[in-house]
Amino acid sequence: MATDSAYSGDDPRRLLSGSRELIRRVRMAQRATWFPLLVFATVTFAAIPASQVGRGHFGTCVPTPPAGKVCTVYSYVGFSYWPIAFVLAYVAIAVFYIRRSRARGVGTRVGPYVIAGIILALTMTGAVLWSLYHPPGTAQALPTVPGLFPLAPGVRYSFAIGLALLVLAWAERNRALLFLTVGYLAVVLLPISFGWVNGHTRWTFVPQLATGGSVLLLGGIGFLLAQRPWRRAA
Amino acid sequence: MSGHPVNGLDDLVHQRVRLGILTIAHEARQVEFSYLRDTLELTAGNLSQHLGVLENAGLITIDKGYAGKRARTWITLTKAGDAALADEVARLKLLINSLEHSWTPPG
Repeated sequence: MATDSAYSGDDPRRLLSGSRELIRRVRMAQRATWFPLLVFATVTFAAIPASQVGRGHFGTCVPTPPAGKVCTVYSYVGFSYWPIAFVLAYVAIAVFYIRRSRARGVGTRVGPYVIAGIILALTMTGAVLWSLYHPPGTAQALPTVPGLFPLAPGVRYSFAIGLALLVLAWAERNRALLFLTVGYLAVVLLPISFGWVNGHTRWTFVPQLATGGSVLLLGGIGFLLAQRPWRRAA
Repeated sequence: MSGHPVNGLDDLVHQRVRLGILTIAHEARQVEFSYLRDTLELTAGNLSQHLGVLENAGLITIDKGYAGKRARTWITLTKAGDAALADEVARLKLLINSLEHSWTPPG
């Protein structure tokens, strides 16, 4: 049986170029970038109605001189949505990669991705819990970046999604995903308003979630078309 | 790594199919027999022979198991295999480099 197509010749140049071609093929077989992007897009879009559900509940109130107080206001659904959705999304992505790896016959570097997910989930949930007991504008509140929107739970988790995608780009050695993620982080961290939301209301973060979700969705569709998972990798 | 790079080439690793197996196993961490067979376009018997050589040299480990009712064979690169592959690639690059610098056009 011939072995000329990808790998032939004992000439050192051909051996090295053949090895590079094999590496390219393995990476193509390992990549499933479209799946995490579509999962995170779904999670982001679903966060918009979830953040509007339920009545507002007062959390911790901290007195502020001379005679005022600052309180956190949250809804149970909106508050618990992100930690649960983020972890479920991460589990779904890890399981998908492992199953796909077994089906295709090539291992994947899913370990660093899972470890990064655990760290991010714990950190972000901790930050959200901290915010609940330390309202914005008080001495113990988490710092916000001047000129940017304060990092509300949705924005914090959008940031966590960006970090998770950076780890994925590194694990997949995927430069296209790296560029997409940098663009996504810029979109979710920079203040975006379509003009119809003023002040800090429940709708304040909808433009950012909608834009971030759209970037993920379009990126996911783009990678889906490029990677064509329905066609077995060559 | 001393002397001419050709002298340091390990025939066991330098053989193109075995170099291909080591390259794929390095990139994939763990690779299934059928993936190697299809990608390298080998017969099962031919691939088995090469795998046997690499396993006897301690460069790979072979694990057999089942996925449902289907028998599966997974190949994993050992640390020695990883080092041998890195050494081979370094020597190939040296060889190409020395060829490019020593070669002069005829006439």
